[in-house]
Amino acid sequence: MATPVAGTPGAMLELDGLTRRYGDRIALDGLSFTVRAGQVLGFVGPNGAGKTTAMRIVLGVLTPDAGEVRFDGAPVDAATRARFGYMPEERGLYPKMRVTDQLVHLARLHGASAAQAREATERWLERLEVAERAGDRVEHLSLGNQQRVQLAAALVHDPVALVLDEPFSGLDPVGVDALAEVLAERAATGVPVVFSSHQLELVERLCDAVAIIRDGHLVAEGTVDELRARGGRGLWRVHVEGASQEWAGTVPGAEVVGDGDAGLLVRLPDDGDEQALLRAAQGAGRVRRFAPEEPRLVDLFREVATVARGEVPAG
Amino acid sequence: MRGHNAIWLVARRELVERSRERSFIIGTIVTLVILAGVIVVPELLGDDGPDEARVAVVSPAGEEVVQAAGAAQGATGLRVIGVPVADEQAARAALEDEEADAALVGDAPRIVVVEELEDDLETALQQASAGVRAATALEQAGADAEQRQAVLAPPPLEVAPLEPTDKGDDELLIITFIALFLLYVQLIGNGYMISSGIVEEKASRVVELLLSAIRPRQLLAGKALGIGLLGIGQLLVIGVFGAGLALAVGALEVPAGAVGALGVVLVSFALGYAFYATLFAVAGALVPRQEELQSSSTPLIFLLIAAFFVSFQVIDDPDGTLGVVLGFVPPCAPLVLPVRIIGGEPALWEIVGGVIVLLAATAALVALAARVYSNAILRTGSSVKLREALSGGGGR
Repeated sequence: MATPVAGTPGAMLELDGLTRRYGDRIALDGLSFTVRAGQVLGFVGPNGAGKTTAMRIVLGVLTPDAGEVRFDGAPVDAATRARFGYMPEERGLYPKMRVTDQLVHLARLHGASAAQAREATERWLERLEVAERAGDRVEHLSLGNQQRVQLAAALVHDPVALVLDEPFSGLDPVGVDALAEVLAERAATGVPVVFSSHQLELVERLCDAVAIIRDGHLVAEGTVDELRARGGRGLWRVHVEGASQEWAGTVPGAEVVGDGDAGLLVRLPDDGDEQALLRAAQGAGRVRRFAPEEPRLVDLFREVATVARGEVPAG
Repeated sequence: MRGHNAIWLVARRELVERSRERSFIIGTIVTLVILAGVIVVPELLGDDGPDEARVAVVSPAGEEVVQAAGAAQGATGLRVIGVPVADEQAARAALEDEEADAALVGDAPRIVVVEELEDDLETALQQASAGVRAATALEQAGADAEQRQAVLAPPPLEVAPLEPTDKGDDELLIITFIALFLLYVQLIGNGYMISSGIVEEKASRVVELLLSAIRPRQLLAGKALGIGLLGIGQLLVIGVFGAGLALAVGALEVPAGAVGALGVVLVSFALGYAFYATLFAVAGALVPRQEELQSSSTPLIFLLIAAFFVSFQVIDDPDGTLGVVLGFVPPCAPLVLPVRIIGGEPALWEIVGGVIVLLAATAALVALAARVYSNAILRTGSSVKLREALSGGGGR
């Protein structure tokens, strides 16, 4: 880069106590989480939870009422921010500008030299397979190709951190794979990557870590395994041949949370005794399956969101 | 990225992208063609030399009259050319063949025409005939050549205007008008470009991507700078083309006046553009789509039209009270001051004072526009009320 600034790949991105109000409505309420260097973090939460507001604050498009964003341990200034890569939720490029001119312009606004900008534009257009449309106006591209150019716009200045708001929405499966590959590749160079998504299977597959927010604050954060371990604690899949589910009610604290072909899904309290559950099952009939359940992220998400709702004091 | 660098990058994009637009190129060419027409057509009409009339002559007496008419060409501006023919019949033939406009026939010549005699030619021939008769009479009375000259061709009466005019005054009036018109068109055109450029970025949502790299003020300043430079460049091309063409066809008697006027126009544009750009930026920042831009920019267009019309009044009396006063009214000053400088003789303090007031107003508006723009630019969904944008109830 022409103007070296604080922050190189390999640094971590921290959101610390971000608070933002719109009039009477609180969009963010002391949101904090960290994206480590080289980590791909999935940022999930129901609509209106504050994901877009948080990302806009990271990019300096919005200013927080309180809290700060740190990169490499230091509060982010304009020069550092210019080296972040961003894909806004509402996609947008200059419709009448040619693809190459547009990407070169954006790269230069982010601080790249003219030569770097040209080189990177060519490289990304090749990589994302839109090189043959390099001389076309953006408005003449198909939606799929516009998406690719939009992604190139987030990458063309070799960003030291990537913040992508719903990058997978609207992509076909091939596009999803291509984007997933690019994100993993950027992370491998030490860049912290954070993206929001409603496609939880995708988040589960691609992300090293997940942050779940609701009503403007964090309700769960950790690696996928950590969250699984947490959410999966006390969750058992029990298949008893020919038995109805009444038997489970005899075990203190046990709660049936699901029923399917694979058997009942039973949750035990933290101090619950799975041996008691097993004995009760054996008492009810022939046990075909008894195993701790690996929860899917979507289950965790539902659970966490529900718990969070439960936490909100009535009134 | 350093601030001025970002501003320059944005400005350069505006310059490059807009100067490539077909509408811009066509607009510039149309302006040049119209200007060429305004300059060249009067020259073509006015410079085809004095009118000519051909008169067939049969008798020596007729020839004498035609010669006298030819000598007195200056009086009517009509050049009378004698066409000697053999006899009256030949004269009639010449008339019918349109080889002659009139014929003088007989020793005491009659004027023979096909249908009607043109007024100019009649005046020339009658005056010439009278002169010939008077000369003959004087000669017979014994007057010598000098005396005859004194009687028949006395020195012309001197004309003494109460308000002497300069040779280049008409020309100056035309230059003033062209300058005013160019300024007006350019201010409206480039002002609207700012509004629609801002709306383009809002409507296409690209603005959020831009603002993740640079500050709103840098984006606004760069846009205004780029479009302003484009306007100055376009004016320069039009001005140099116009002045060059006028010189080439000899339409300018006072070339220095035109060159000076061009300089005044460029400086006035820069000042006027800076003032109006802030207002057009506000008009653009408040609306989400091009369709709604008309409602927010209409008051501004009317303001410019009003300024144009009052400045038009000032052309007639550049140093009158109206002109002096309006020179201190910021929305009018960018049009009134150049009219006064080019067409009149304003006092230096009037110009300097007017410019200072204009600059002060611009500085105040820049602060206001930057605030409104920053507050409203990310509110891409619907129109923003000016009061809300000013109070900062917006996105930032």
